Amino acid sequence: MPAPELLLDLTLGALLLILAVAALHGQRLYTGIISFIAFGLLLALVWARFGAPDLALAEAVIGAGLTGVLLLSALGRSDSDSEPAPIRAPARMLAALLLGVLVLILLLRAVLPLAQGPQPLPALVASQLEASGVSHPVTAVLLNFRAWDTLLELLVLLLAVLGVRQLRPSGQPQPGVWPLLQAWSRVLAPLSVLTAGYLLWRGSHAPGGAFQAGALLAAGVVMLRLAGLLPELRWAYWPLRALVLIGLALFLSIAAAGAWLGDGWLSYPPGWSGPLILLIEVAATLSIAASLSLLVVGERKELER
Amino acid sequence: MTLALASLLLPLGTALLMLALRLRSGNWVIVASLGSLLCAGLALNQVLDQGLQTLVIGGWRTPLGIRFELSTLTALLLIFTAMTHLLVAIYAQYSRHSQTRDTDYWPLSSLLHASLAALWLSRDLFNWYVTLELLGLVAVAMIILSGPKAYAPALRYLLLSLAASLCYLLGVALLYGRYGVLDLDLLAQASQADHSTRMALLLMTVGLMLKAALWPLHLWLPAAHSSAPTAVSALLSALVVKGPLFILWLLWSRVAPLEMTESAGLLFALAGIVALLSGGWAALRTPLLKRLVAYSTVAQLGYALLALGLLLRWQQSELSVALWLFVLAHGLAKVSMFLAAGEMQATLGSRRVASLKGATQTMPVAMFAFAVAGGSLIGLPPSGGFVAKWVLLQPLLAEPIHWPWALGVLIGTLASAAYVFRVVALSFDRAEATPPNFNPDPFAQWLALLPAIAVWGLALFSQPLIRWLTEASG
Amino acid sequence: MSGTTFYLCLGVVLWLLGLHGLLRLQQTLRRIMAINVMGSSTFMVMVALASRDGHNDPVLQALVVTGLVVAVSATAFALRLAVAHQPRRSSRQSTREPGE
Repeated sequence: MPAPELLLDLTLGALLLILAVAALHGQRLYTGIISFIAFGLLLALVWARFGAPDLALAEAVIGAGLTGVLLLSALGRSDSDSEPAPIRAPARMLAALLLGVLVLILLLRAVLPLAQGPQPLPALVASQLEASGVSHPVTAVLLNFRAWDTLLELLVLLLAVLGVRQLRPSGQPQPGVWPLLQAWSRVLAPLSVLTAGYLLWRGSHAPGGAFQAGALLAAGVVMLRLAGLLPELRWAYWPLRALVLIGLALFLSIAAAGAWLGDGWLSYPPGWSGPLILLIEVAATLSIAASLSLLVVGERKELER
Repeated sequence: MTLALASLLLPLGTALLMLALRLRSGNWVIVASLGSLLCAGLALNQVLDQGLQTLVIGGWRTPLGIRFELSTLTALLLIFTAMTHLLVAIYAQYSRHSQTRDTDYWPLSSLLHASLAALWLSRDLFNWYVTLELLGLVAVAMIILSGPKAYAPALRYLLLSLAASLCYLLGVALLYGRYGVLDLDLLAQASQADHSTRMALLLMTVGLMLKAALWPLHLWLPAAHSSAPTAVSALLSALVVKGPLFILWLLWSRVAPLEMTESAGLLFALAGIVALLSGGWAALRTPLLKRLVAYSTVAQLGYALLALGLLLRWQQSELSVALWLFVLAHGLAKVSMFLAAGEMQATLGSRRVASLKGATQTMPVAMFAFAVAGGSLIGLPPSGGFVAKWVLLQPLLAEPIHWPWALGVLIGTLASAAYVFRVVALSFDRAEATPPNFNPDPFAQWLALLPAIAVWGLALFSQPLIRWLTEASG
Repeated sequence: MSGTTFYLCLGVVLWLLGLHGLLRLQQTLRRIMAINVMGSSTFMVMVALASRDGHNDPVLQALVVTGLVVAVSATAFALRLAVAHQPRRSSRQSTREPGE
C-alpha cells in the first residue's frame, strides 16, 4: 500500500490519541475541552480520508462545532475547573490495567477479522438507487430505505429539547458580548444560511443533506444569539414550536398517508419519491436547526412554559 | 399490521398535538391510550386469526430496509403497554396527590408509549439502538419532573444509559462487520460461533443488561425509580426496563449460535438467583418505602433472568412462556404497588416505611392493594405471579438434577414474602397509627387496587395466554 | 497494514480509553467527554468497516450520521442536566451523587 497514506494514518492516529488523552486526563478542564474540539476536527479529517464527505461535514459542524459550544458554555456555568487528584491505590491500578489489556486483546481479536467480511448491502443500494428518487446513496438510505430510523432520530432531538425544558433554570447571568463576535457574526450568519441551503439542495445528488444543513443553520443561529443580535426565543412563541415540530409532523403524515391511503407505511408513491424526499428534507432541516439551537443556546426564558 | 401501526401512531400524534397547541389536560392522553388499547386488542385478534404479520417499511425488502413483525407476544406487549399507560394516566390526571398534572408529563408519557411500541414491533438491530436511546432520554426527562432532588440519580442513570447504548452499538457494528446485515432473522440464519460474534453478543448483552437493570448492572435503578414522581415510577418499573429485556431475549434465543447459549444461559440463571436474593435483602433493609418497591423490581427481574438463562441452557420453550408471564404479571403488580405506595406516602406525609404503622386503619384500600400486589409478586395462588412461577417450576421439578434451581426459586419466594410481610405487618400495628397529614383520596386508592385485581384475574386467562405465548416463542 | 485495519484498532483503543475515563473520572463534564470519545470511536469502527475492499458502504455512513445526531442530542441534555445539578458555590469538588 502507498507509504504516504500510511504515514498520514499514523500521524492522524497519534494525534487523535494524544488529543483524547489530553481531553480526558489533562490538568485543566478548559484545556481539555479545547483538545476535545480539536479531536472532533481531526475526526472530520479522518472521515474525509475515508471518502465519507457527508460524515466529515456532519462531524465538523455537530461534533466539533456545536458540541464544543455546549461544553464551553457548561464549563462557564460550573464551579470547579481542575480534576481532584485521583486516589492512588497501586493494587487496584494494576488490576485495572491488566483487565484493560485483557479486554483490549479480546476486542482486537474480534475486530481484526472483520476487515474482510460479506458486504451485500452496497450492491443492493446501488441497484435500487434509481427507484429511490435521489441519486446520492447516503441520502437514499437515510430518507428512503431506512427512513424510519430518520423519523425516530427526529424524535430523539425533540425528546432532548423536551428534557431540557423540564430542568429548573440555573439562573446564571449572560456573559458580556465579545465585540469581535458581533462583527463576525454579521458576516458569517448569512453565509451559514446560504451554505445550509446549498447543502440541502445538493444532498439529493452529492454529499450534503438535511442534517448537515440543519446543523449549519443552528450554528448560525447560535452565533447570532451569542453575539446578542437575536432576541430570546421562547417555547411559548408558536412559530418556534411549529419549526421544531414540523419535521416530525410532516414525516409522520406522509408515513400514515402511505399506510392508509397508499402502498404501506413510509412507502412513497412511485414517481413521487424525489419531490417527497425534498419536502421532508426541507422540513427536517428547519426542525433540526430549531431543535439544535434550543438545545445549545436555549435560555431560561426561552424554555419556560 | 395497520392496527398495530395505529396503536403506535395514536400516542405519537397526541404527543405532537399537545406540544403544538400547548394542551395541558390529561384527558387527551387518556382518550388516546384507550384508542391505542383498542387497536392493540384488534391487532391481537388479527394475529390470532391470520398468524404472524410482517411489514417491510417502505416496501424495501430486508436486508435493505427495516422490518416490523407482529407476533402474539408483540400484540400482547402492545396491549400491556397501552393498558399500563392508560391506568397511570388516569391516576396522574385525577388523583389528588398527583405531582404531574400540569406538567409536560402528558406528551412525555405518550412519547414513552410510542417509543415502546416502536421497540416491540421492530426487528432491526440499529433501529433498536435508536428506540433504546429514545427510551433512555424519555425516562430521564420524566424522572426530573420531580424537581432538583431527582437530578443526581437522573444524571447518573443518563450517563450509564448512554454508555450502555454505545456498548450495544459497538456490538451491532461488529455483527454488521461480520455478517453484513442488520435484520434479526437474516442474522439468525447466518450466525456462527466465532470470536467476533461472541464479543459482539457480549458487548450487546452488557449494554442491554445495564438498561434493563439486571444484576449486577442494576445499581442505578433504586435511586432513579424512587426519586421520580409516583406515576413515572410506575411506568419505569413496569414498562421501560422490559424493552431492553425483550431485545436481549430475542437476540439470545434467535441469533446466538447454540454453542454459546449453554454457557451464557448458566451465567444468566446464576445472576438471576443472586438478583432475587440481593434485591430481596436490600428491600428488607431499606427504610424508604418507594426504594423498597424499587428493590423489589430488581429482585423480580431475577425471575426473568433465571427463566432466560434456563431457556438458553435447556432450549425448552415453556421457559419463554414463563419469562413473559413474569413480565406481564410483574408489570401489573408493580403499577399497583407504586400507586399504592405513592398514595400512602403522600397522605401520611412521610417517605419512610415506618410511617405505615397502622395504615390499615387510615388507608385500608391502599394497603389492601399493596398486599394483593405483593401476593402476586410472592407467587401466591391463584395470582398471575403464581401461574408464571408454576410454568417456571414445572421443568425444574421434572428431573432431580434440576432441583437446586427450584431451591433457588423457593428462597427467592421467601425473600419476596419477607419484604411484603414487613410492610403489611407494620400496617396492622394499630396501637399508635400514624395520623394522615392530608385527607386520603379514595378514588386513587381504588385505582391502585385495579391492577392488583387484574393480575390476580390473569390466572383466569392463563390458558389462552400460555397458548398465545407458546405460539410466539415456537 | 491497510487503512481499514489501522482505524479498526485505533477505534477499539479509543473506545477503551473512553470507557476507562467514564468509570474513573469524577468530574461530570469529563465523563460526558469520555462518553463522546466512546461514541466517536464506535463511529470510527463503523466508518472503517464502511470502506472495506475499497467500496463505500452508504448504509454504514447513513447509520453514523444518525448516530452523530443522537449523540449530540444526548450530550446536550446531559450537559444541561449536569449544570443544573451543580452544587452552587460548594466546597465539594466531586460531582458524584450523594448517598440518599
